[in-house]
Amino acid sequence: MIDGVQVIDFHGHVGRWDRYGMIDEPTRVLHAMDAAGIDRACVSNIFHPDGTTGNDLTARFVAQHPERFIGFAYVSPLMPERMLPELARAVDSLCFAAIKLYPPYTPWPLNEPPWEPIYRFANARGLAVLFHTGSEPQSLPKLVGEIASRYPRANFVLGHSGNTPVERGQAIAAAQANPNVYLETCSAFRSPGVIEQLVNEAGAERILYGSDQPLMDPRSQLGKIITAQLPAAAKRQILGENARRLLRLG
Amino acid sequence: MTSLTFRPRVPVFDANVRVGDLPGQPAPCRERAALLAEMDRCGVERAVIYHALTEEVSPVEGNLLLEPWLGADGRLVPQWSILPTATSLAQVQGLHRQGRVTSVRLHDTRVAGLSFRPWAYDPLLAWLSARRIPIWIPLPGADADELVTTLQGHPDLVTVLVGAHYVHHLMVRPLLTRLPNAHLELSRYEPIGEIEALADEFGAHRLVYGSWYSQYAMGPLLFYLHHTDLSEEELALVCAGNLVRILGPAPSLRSGQALSAAYPEQSRRSEGRATS
Repeated sequence: MIDGVQVIDFHGHVGRWDRYGMIDEPTRVLHAMDAAGIDRACVSNIFHPDGTTGNDLTARFVAQHPERFIGFAYVSPLMPERMLPELARAVDSLCFAAIKLYPPYTPWPLNEPPWEPIYRFANARGLAVLFHTGSEPQSLPKLVGEIASRYPRANFVLGHSGNTPVERGQAIAAAQANPNVYLETCSAFRSPGVIEQLVNEAGAERILYGSDQPLMDPRSQLGKIITAQLPAAAKRQILGENARRLLRLG
Repeated sequence: MTSLTFRPRVPVFDANVRVGDLPGQPAPCRERAALLAEMDRCGVERAVIYHALTEEVSPVEGNLLLEPWLGADGRLVPQWSILPTATSLAQVQGLHRQGRVTSVRLHDTRVAGLSFRPWAYDPLLAWLSARRIPIWIPLPGADADELVTTLQGHPDLVTVLVGAHYVHHLMVRPLLTRLPNAHLELSRYEPIGEIEALADEFGAHRLVYGSWYSQYAMGPLLFYLHHTDLSEEELALVCAGNLVRILGPAPSLRSGQALSAAYPEQSRRSEGRATS
């Protein structure tokens, strides 16, 4: 909790990537969260194309501290026959709150037909879909802008807000053109003024704090929001209020 | 207690600030006053600065462009870039004779075909070591084997390894182990819990705050450092005290004596911890 705001990290992971120091030990993760006042983190496992393996690992991780972690479902069009049954299982049985997609692990740009069943599912259920976005041809933010209007009951969150300046411009344009597009803030790039740019051009009500933990420490990413030149009301929206609304948290 | 606003509670001396334009990237701060204003906003008292042109184009010309940024107040401490050519070495030697060299920054020549090998760098490194001039070495583009092999030939040379990213995670511990006079600059190093872990394993005296402004904002890493398990003494060392010790007393630091005076006790403790 920071100044009365329940802080929700919208972008986290389950799984180990040892060579990069990404270690999903709950004690390590919670220590970092507690040190900075981060209440809850949304997590997914993107390393298993069947969906089931990673989602089960996510469920076990969340179950250790269900008051602190929120599971997101992962599926991949690399195994298309498994996508919809696994999404239904993850949402209905595992109680996951949203969907995470990682297009660079596939050959298909996110606006191509193999992804469409996922978007239809999200639209029917009114779920949020968190994308990895960046400069990879599968993950360009402008592609989200193309699909968002076709699925108005779903919400689309652009992880990393495109990451680099050109793609960040695409992400902002997608949010400006579509009321169901949101921008998430985690990035290895911590350019001066980037959070202020997102707020000024897309609106504070469309920005979500995320960290990419445990690949990156949630504290340095939180520092981007806290040290930005923004009114307190905008920081409250970014740190938790927008996520609570999007995930329909009580 | 975290709040929606943040100010550092210890003095801050930034070890890694880039000024001036890259060929393809104009800098947000166009001149010294603007940079000082940004430092004031973030609670940064002083900064070691180098010129952007020295990164990819010319250390010699970039060093000349650093001059307009410097002032008499000592808040911006020049860091001269260097590569192993006669012209570059002569430039830095001339500055040294004027008492203006407190540190240098290695220009990455590896992409141009000059490996960081003893046969290429020993004369330069020997000159620096003999004069107790510390050298900042950018890790991106560096080869870990070359770093260890070459720097072990100069055991008294103090180094600051700059720009470690999570992609360098596997090399950080072996480098700090094999190079006892090496320090890790933290601007890009974000694996979860690693600052506390490295402080426990190697001592906070091996860690140095740097922002890599203007590529990165100054505030986020400072916020992070203030929300770790570091003690107040360790925090003060990482945020400024270690850098004061590394740069050492020098004519160009006279205006920073108040900052130096704030850390002698921590510096002594740190050195004790280093040998324990």
